[in-house]
Amino acid sequence: MGLSANLGALGLLVEVIVIMIDVVGRFFGSPLYGSQDMVTMGMVVLVFGGMAMCDRDGGHIAVDLLEPRFSPAVNRFIDIISALLGAIIFLFIAYAIYESAKLSIMLNLSTNLLRLPKAWFQWGLAAFSIVTALGMLLRAAELSLSGRDIRREKATEL
Amino acid sequence: MSVEVTGFIGLATLLVLLAIRIPVAFAMFLVGFVGICALKGWNAAMSLLSSETFTLASSSELVVVPLFILMGNVATATGMSRQLYTAAYAMIGHVRGGLASATVVGCGGFAALSGSSVASALTMGKVSLSEMERFKYDQRLSTGVVAAGGTLGILIPPSTGFVIFAILTEQSIGRLFLAGVFPGLLLLMMFVLTVWIICWIKPELGPRGPRSSGAERLRALTGALPILLVIVVTIGGIYGGLFSPVEAAGVGAALVVIYGIVTRTLSFAAFWHSARSSIVTTATVMLILSGAHMINPFLALSHVPAFVGGALVALDLPVLVILALMLLMYLILGCFLEGFAMLVLTLPIFFPVVLQLGIDPIWFGVLVVLTLEMGLISPPVGINVFIVKSVAPKVALGDIFRGVTPFWFAMLFTLIVLIAFPQVSLFLPNTMFN
Amino acid sequence: AEELSFANFTPPFHTVNASVIEKMNADLMAATDGEVSVRGYHGGELGAGPVEQYVRVVQGAADIAWGLPGYTSSQFEKTMIVELPGTLSNEDDGYAAMWAAYDAHLAGEFTATVPVAMWTSEPNVLIMKDKVVRTPADMAGLKVRVAGATAAEVATALGATPVQMPINQVYNALQTGLIDGVITGSSTLSDFKLDEVASSYTFGANLGRLAFYAVMNEAKYNDLSDAAKAALDSSGNTAISKSAEDAWNATSDAGVAAARALDDNTFVDLSEAEAAAFADVIAGVTGAYVAKVGGEDALAAMQGN
Ligand code: NA
Ligand code: NA
Repeated sequence: MGLSANLGALGLLVEVIVIMIDVVGRFFGSPLYGSQDMVTMGMVVLVFGGMAMCDRDGGHIAVDLLEPRFSPAVNRFIDIISALLGAIIFLFIAYAIYESAKLSIMLNLSTNLLRLPKAWFQWGLAAFSIVTALGMLLRAAELSLSGRDIRREKATEL
Repeated sequence: MSVEVTGFIGLATLLVLLAIRIPVAFAMFLVGFVGICALKGWNAAMSLLSSETFTLASSSELVVVPLFILMGNVATATGMSRQLYTAAYAMIGHVRGGLASATVVGCGGFAALSGSSVASALTMGKVSLSEMERFKYDQRLSTGVVAAGGTLGILIPPSTGFVIFAILTEQSIGRLFLAGVFPGLLLLMMFVLTVWIICWIKPELGPRGPRSSGAERLRALTGALPILLVIVVTIGGIYGGLFSPVEAAGVGAALVVIYGIVTRTLSFAAFWHSARSSIVTTATVMLILSGAHMINPFLALSHVPAFVGGALVALDLPVLVILALMLLMYLILGCFLEGFAMLVLTLPIFFPVVLQLGIDPIWFGVLVVLTLEMGLISPPVGINVFIVKSVAPKVALGDIFRGVTPFWFAMLFTLIVLIAFPQVSLFLPNTMFN
Repeated sequence: AEELSFANFTPPFHTVNASVIEKMNADLMAATDGEVSVRGYHGGELGAGPVEQYVRVVQGAADIAWGLPGYTSSQFEKTMIVELPGTLSNEDDGYAAMWAAYDAHLAGEFTATVPVAMWTSEPNVLIMKDKVVRTPADMAGLKVRVAGATAAEVATALGATPVQMPINQVYNALQTGLIDGVITGSSTLSDFKLDEVASSYTFGANLGRLAFYAVMNEAKYNDLSDAAKAALDSSGNTAISKSAEDAWNATSDAGVAAARALDDNTFVDLSEAEAAAFADVIAGVTGAYVAKVGGEDALAAMQGN
């Protein structure tokens, strides 16, 4: 998870550098070739690179209006269900994207200028999704076995 | 079972899932996926699951989201946000709720830079929330101000909302942008007035500070020069044709990072922490948007918007009543749907009626965009409130919704003013274009 | 009765709706006594944006979708030849050229789908702001928005600086002066409101055009009755493709007429000699592309040789 977040942060750094080179270069009449390809594909890496850490940090937003009305046991049960549901959703996303990647290879899909194969980024996205799903499964297991919630511990650390 | 019934069951299920605290994005993915499965089959649902997540994550417009968050994070890490709010405090800290009003004005300024409400709320939230906390402002007030102020992003040009409206209805983008200027300023003033009234009733929410001397003000303003300069350069670069609004986010982020390196206020560790925190916030936001994109095809396949719109149009009522009913529909749909999805689903049904009834399309566009903004802050699916929650994890979502309520009423009041006085919207486009 | 879903990423007012989606619906209903119909899902209701349209059909999110080969040009290396300057004259019918080359040269690029219409846009023109272009030399150093790699080479050959950006950001970029112009079809004048910000137009140079496809899921297509298949363009009929191309030209003509009616615009209609100057500068680009993708035969078929 730390690794995927670091890759995501690297993606963001690349994004800033590419845009700056492009903007300054264009001013002098030589924009960066394929900058848009780099920016959009870098975006894929950074968005999904942050996914696993997002769950770890308790970043997924829920409507907590009724939380005080539920008993602690009910709230814990909901937390476990949410984590499991999240894990299933991310496994589905991983599988769906993996299947699409096969199609991308069959259709020879790539970015328009730099010809970066689309399947590379789909595989990356699928891998990040699996890491995210595993993190959620781990959290569901911790919650049901010991009642330990990694998200609360993180929140008090901050 | 008719497809419409499936659609309504899906919406009801979404409500229940949200009420029992299932994370918003997960609930939308679940309802959207199962709904598409029911209406169009497994293959279609899997296809949309993969294409909507990938398309959104590779969107060249949403690049502004991580970049603006990075800009906000680094501005905070280097102390630039603090300098900005120290200056604002020196200027108007002695006024009740002065910093909250300053934040509204800041949101208005940022709206001239950004076409999206999400980016506005994120960046302003990053910059302003901890600062208002520093000066003992109540968190309901501060988060409410940011969630509401962020919506100025799509009323004050440039605006992605108006661009989508223009393309869906074949109206002039230029006219719509101009039509948004006065309503945007009016709404901004209403927000400031709302802050003032809140703090007049409950002064402890936005406590007064001491009045600063002229020398203190000058010193504070000088301290805020770097961040003011970054903002001026970024806005100036867009209007001067040096870079696009999307690239402006990258330039702004680069400028604050360069400032941090030059002044040695940003270590590599602090930069990396800011970058990681930016992508985590981005992930939160993008997952919610992806979920909204799964609900959109589900509702389209269920024909629910067409059904509701058709029923409305069939009523034989006076023009103003139909207009009010259409806006009411946007208010209700806005409780569930992301704003742009709503435009796509409803305009094809409503817009021909609008033309037929002789309602000015530009005026209608302003009213619709303002109503969409109200949807962005109304429960249960209030995207802007979720955005603020993602930058203020410690504040309960309920508190943010409560904090934003007075501003919702300010928007409602503004909407009524705009309906009563179409000139407010139409004066500028009609004089500039004719 | 069967209702086929047609994914349209543009608004329902777009040219494609009446000329392709509604026509296909009418033709199929007529051919099958109302057994098979088509319902359009507009504005990206079945998934946002043009890039994934082909994949949506293969995977079954939609039964039919339309799109631009240019958005996934790596898939359509030979189909893209029809877009290049000089492949066709500005008066040639693009749909006819595409169908002429389809069976022998392009079919391999349409995996797992059946094209039910193929057509091209009106010819590309130069849409500029504040810069009047009459000769290739007038383009020197100007920033011009282009869509793809070959278009970027065309711009470079003309001495301009190619800038890559999505079409929906062009309005703002022209307005602020970020770009000086764009090479694209004149239907964008109304489709993307470019007439509000552009002030100078150059017609007559052969700058290529855009290609379009409407494809249907292969399995769905095979399940259709022969009567239904006959109503679609895959069966040697080109009625829908022609309808689309005519409609594109009509939209473009209307946009140009509206722009010409405004007196603050400059219109440059190049003479044959002036147009030839552009053709000379660009000629190498098309030849190099065709050689690179081994598309000599496809090019010949499109040109009717
Ligand atoms: Na704006
Ligand atoms: Na809402």
